[in-house]
Amino acid sequence: MPTQRYAIAEKLNVPIAVVGESGDVRWNNEAFEATFGDDAKHWLKEAARAVAGERGWLHGFFLDADEHRSTDVEIEGRTYRIDRIGNPSDFEDAAVALSFEDVTRQREMEQAKSDFTSMIVHDLRGPLSGIQGTLEFVLSQEGTRLDAMYTDLLQEAQRESERMMNLINELLDFSKIQSGNFTVEGEPVRVAGVLKRAVRSLQSVAARDEIFLLNAHGRDVPQIIGSVEKLTQAIINLISNSLKFTPKRGLISVGAQIVRTGELPEAIVITVTDTGMGIKAQELLQVWEKYKQSGNKSLRGGGGTGLGLYIVKQIVEAHGGEVSVASIEGVGTSMVLKLPVKRAA
Amino acid sequence: MSSAPLAQPKPDWSRLVSDSLKQNGLWHTWYKLVEARTAYPDDLSLRGYSEIVRNAIVRDLLQHPKGMQAVPKLSPEFLTNFDRFNLNAQEGYLVSLIDGRLDLQKLVLLSPFDQFMTLFILAKLAQERAITVP
Repeated sequence: MPTQRYAIAEKLNVPIAVVGESGDVRWNNEAFEATFGDDAKHWLKEAARAVAGERGWLHGFFLDADEHRSTDVEIEGRTYRIDRIGNPSDFEDAAVALSFEDVTRQREMEQAKSDFTSMIVHDLRGPLSGIQGTLEFVLSQEGTRLDAMYTDLLQEAQRESERMMNLINELLDFSKIQSGNFTVEGEPVRVAGVLKRAVRSLQSVAARDEIFLLNAHGRDVPQIIGSVEKLTQAIINLISNSLKFTPKRGLISVGAQIVRTGELPEAIVITVTDTGMGIKAQELLQVWEKYKQSGNKSLRGGGGTGLGLYIVKQIVEAHGGEVSVASIEGVGTSMVLKLPVKRAA
Repeated sequence: MSSAPLAQPKPDWSRLVSDSLKQNGLWHTWYKLVEARTAYPDDLSLRGYSEIVRNAIVRDLLQHPKGMQAVPKLSPEFLTNFDRFNLNAQEGYLVSLIDGRLDLQKLVLLSPFDQFMTLFILAKLAQERAITVP
């Protein structure tokens, strides 16, 4: 590392150290010394140790040298966010420069906020389910002769309650992701069944908005290991999103293609594609981020939480997959999910 | 000493597809994307752009004033000059279902292929003038 960088790092109030692969401190600034002192030797050694084949967190900083890496680590009862600020290639022998920020209070606040959101959202779902059930019951009574105006109003109330339930569910999932309680079950998933179920559940909404919603996959899509519930939710999120931005007489297709290595299926690529208004090129990279909403106005009214696509990305990544997006303004958008086909050992 | 292969730069699909659509239309762009898929089999966004173009092709078929109730018919050219059309097995099967009475909705139900694939093949047959959708 160039000498002037050491001089700058020395003066900073943030603890910084240059650490070798075995946890040895090659250099540190005063802030590091003041914060950790001799104790650093102990926990850095632990961080470098391999237990039952699993190497400690320090090892990660020596991998993927070209990518920025950051991780939260518990050090003596406090939570530190550790960032790699110098790569192994910056040093003559294998070492990384790390900065340490105490984020204990910040993480506690985030956890409290997440717990609170989770509790509120649970409490909101109960009464809303009651309202939805009542509306469904009233509207399904064939013998009842409701004035057309009242029927329209009740249907509007039903639509808005559906929208509110979606928003609440998104908030609940988001709070689970934030609190680290978002886990994926390891059950066999029939992907074709998941796609069909998702399409079926939104077919009536699409028909109401005069949009063609079509399956674009055969029955021979292989099974994967994961969560039926969460993958169905991911596909529903994507279709719902497309429904917001696709004009009347537009088309949404839900497809699946198999990626093979030789004869064996290696992955499944799921696409949800619409003939909507498309996304501006400069917004494409941000669509999977939380609270990011398209600059385009929904054609069906009402905004969202900006969490739908973020939740989809989390679900796909929890299955070991990856996401992508393609869009052409005025032609349409395709959300692409790649899920690995894992086989039982 | 062998050097590590350089990573192939990823084309700007958004611009390329958008330009091609403007200059050459949907079908030409679709065939170009099929070729590109062979060169970039692992490119996820390329799959997305292919799907956008396929979707636009099927949407155009469904823009017919009768929508799914439109009734396709075999074209006079197909009936008199069958050999000119080099149909594959899927296209041949769907052509065999077209009797001038079944609408798109019923053809989708009768077809062994998925809904979207059925409509895409019908759009291709219409583009090649094997069928007409009056």
